[in-house]
Amino acid sequence: MKIPWAWVIWLVAVLVVLTITRNPLYLLIDIGCVLFVGLALQRVEVGTPRLYSPWKFAGWIILLATIFNTLTSHYGETVLFTIPGKLPLISGNVTLEAMVYGAINGLILTGMLMSFTVLNLALPVRDLISLIPRAFFPVAVVTSIAVTYLPTTVRQYQQIREAQAVRGHQMRTLRDWLPLLMPLLVGGLEHAMQLAEAMTARGFASPKPEVGRRQVYPRLLMLLGVVLLALGWWAQLVSASWKGWLVILSGAVLILLGLWFTGTHSPRTAYHRHVWSWNDGLGIIGALVVISVYLLPIPGIGKVTLYYDPYPKLSLPQFSPLIGMAMLSLLIPGILALKSLNDETL
Amino acid sequence: MKSKLFSIVIYLAATISGLLVLLYPFFLPAISIQSGFGTFRAGEMPAMMTLLLGLCMLVLLVEAQGPVMNTKLIALLGVLVAINSALRFIETAIPGPGGFTPIFFLIILVGYVFGGRVGFLMGALTMLVSGLVTGGVGPWLPGQMFTAGWVGMSAALLRPIIRLLMAKRHPDNTSAINLEIIVLAIFGFLWGFLYGMLMNLWQWPFILGPQEQSWAAGLGMGETLQRYLAFYLVTSFVWDAIAAIGNVLLILMFGAPTLKALRRFQNRFSFTYTPERNAVPSELGRGSAG
Repeated sequence: MKIPWAWVIWLVAVLVVLTITRNPLYLLIDIGCVLFVGLALQRVEVGTPRLYSPWKFAGWIILLATIFNTLTSHYGETVLFTIPGKLPLISGNVTLEAMVYGAINGLILTGMLMSFTVLNLALPVRDLISLIPRAFFPVAVVTSIAVTYLPTTVRQYQQIREAQAVRGHQMRTLRDWLPLLMPLLVGGLEHAMQLAEAMTARGFASPKPEVGRRQVYPRLLMLLGVVLLALGWWAQLVSASWKGWLVILSGAVLILLGLWFTGTHSPRTAYHRHVWSWNDGLGIIGALVVISVYLLPIPGIGKVTLYYDPYPKLSLPQFSPLIGMAMLSLLIPGILALKSLNDETL
Repeated sequence: MKSKLFSIVIYLAATISGLLVLLYPFFLPAISIQSGFGTFRAGEMPAMMTLLLGLCMLVLLVEAQGPVMNTKLIALLGVLVAINSALRFIETAIPGPGGFTPIFFLIILVGYVFGGRVGFLMGALTMLVSGLVTGGVGPWLPGQMFTAGWVGMSAALLRPIIRLLMAKRHPDNTSAINLEIIVLAIFGFLWGFLYGMLMNLWQWPFILGPQEQSWAAGLGMGETLQRYLAFYLVTSFVWDAIAAIGNVLLILMFGAPTLKALRRFQNRFSFTYTPERNAVPSELGRGSAG
C-alpha cells in the first residue's frame, strides 16, 4: 500500500477495535495483526527501522499496567493477598480481577502505540505532512521547514558541542548548557532570516487579495461548530441521549465545512503523486470490513462477545469466530508488503 | 478591528470548549455508569475527548495561522520549532530526572516576545513535529498540542503584568534582580504543574483506586476537586514538581540571554516587503538581480 489515506483507514480500523472492545481475545488478534504488518514492513525495509524489539516493548507496557492496576485497585472477589498498613493508594486487597483488568489496559495501550509505530514505519514524514489538509497550508509549510531543518539542528548542536569541547568546555552543571544553547538559537534565527529572504525573493506568500483577505463565512461556520460541539458534549454527558450526539455531529460537520471552504483558496501542488493501485483498494476494503463488523448492526454477528469485564468475579471471555475471522483482514497490508518482496526477488 | 474582535471570540469559544472537554469530571452532576465500573465509558470517553479536542484544536490552529502568511514568521516558526523539537529529541535520547523537559522554556519565551498567536503555534507545532520525528503520533497528540499551545498563548498575557510592575518600579532602583525573568520563572513553575494536571484529566475518571482519590458520578464540584487533588498529590506531584523546578532553573539561567537574542531578531524581522504597485512588468523584468 502506497497511498497515505489507505494507511489512515487501516489505522482507524485498528483503533476502532481497541476502543470498542475489552475482550482480551479480540485485543490479542488486533495486536497480532498490527505486529505482523509491522514486522512485514521491517522485512521489506519500508521507512526507518526501529531499534527496539516489539516483544520487549509490549512486555514492558503490559507488565507496568498490570502492576499499577494491581497495586492501586482493590476491587474484585478473588483476593490473592493483602498489603497491610495505611500506605496511600497501595494498602488493601490485591485481587486477580484487578490484575487481569490492568493487563487488558496494557494490551490496549500496547495496541495503540504499536499501531501508530506501524503508521510511522509505513509512511515517510513527507507523506505524513501531505495528510495535513489544504486549509492548514501555512502550518504545513512550517512543519515541512521544521522537519527539514531538524537534522541540521542536531548536526549543528554536535558541531557546537565539539567546538566548545576543544576549547576546554565541560558539561558539569545546567549552567554549562548556555554556551551550547545560545549559538544554536542564534545560528537558527540567522538561518530563519536567510530562509525568509529567499522565500520572499521567490514570491512565496506574495500579496494575493483572495488569499490574504480573511474569509468571514468559513470562520463563522467554525465558530458555530465549536459552540455546537460544546453544547452537544454537555447534553451528551448529562443525559447520554442521541440528541447530544446529533448536536456534536452537526458541530463537527460545520467545522469540517469551514475548513473545506478555507482550503479551497489554497491550491496544492506536488512533485510526485501516488497512484491508486489494487493493493490500496484491497487494504481499504479489509479495514472497512472490520469497521463495519464493529460499528454496524449486522445480523448473525454476536456483538455481545465484544463486551468483557473481569469485575467483580473473573470469568472466561466469549468468542465469536465470525468477528475473529473478519479481523484477520487487518493482515492485508502486511501480506501485500511480503508479496511485493517476493515479486522483487523473483 | 472587527476582524480582531471576531478572532478573539473564536479563540475564546475554542479554548472554552476545549476546557469543557478536559474538565468535564468537575462540573458534571452525574455521568451514566450503567455498565458498572465505568467500563463502557472507559473505552468510549478517551476516543470522544480526542475527537472533540482535535476539532477544537483545528479551529484554533486555522485561526492562529491566519496572520502567519508572511515568509518571515513562517521561517522563524519553522526554525524555532525545529530547535525545540531537537531539544525534545535529545531529551528522549538522554532522559532527565522525573518530568524535566527543556521544551517549555522556549515556548514560554517565544509566546512572551512574539505574542499569543505565535506562542500557540510554537507550542502546538513543537508537539506535532517532535511527535512526527520521534514516532510519537498518537491519540494523546491533540491533548498535548492543545495544552502546549495554551502555554505559549498564555505567556503573552504576562506582557501587561510585567509592564505594570516595571512602571511601578522606582527609576532609581538599580537592583540586579531581573523582574521580568522572575515573573517568567513563576509562570514556568505554575505551568509545570498545570500541564501535568490537565494531561492527567485524560484518564483520571477511568482509573480505579481508593475511594478518596477516585472519580465518582454525582459528586459536587468541591468534592471532585478534593479527590482529584488527592489523586494528583499521590501519583503525579513529584514528577510535575521536577518539571516545574526545571522550568524555573532554565528560565533563571538562560532566560535573559535568550530574551535578548529573540528581541534582537524580532527587530530584524520587522521589515515589511511591499511590491511597488505602479511598476510595470517590463520594468520589473529589467531589474538587476544584484
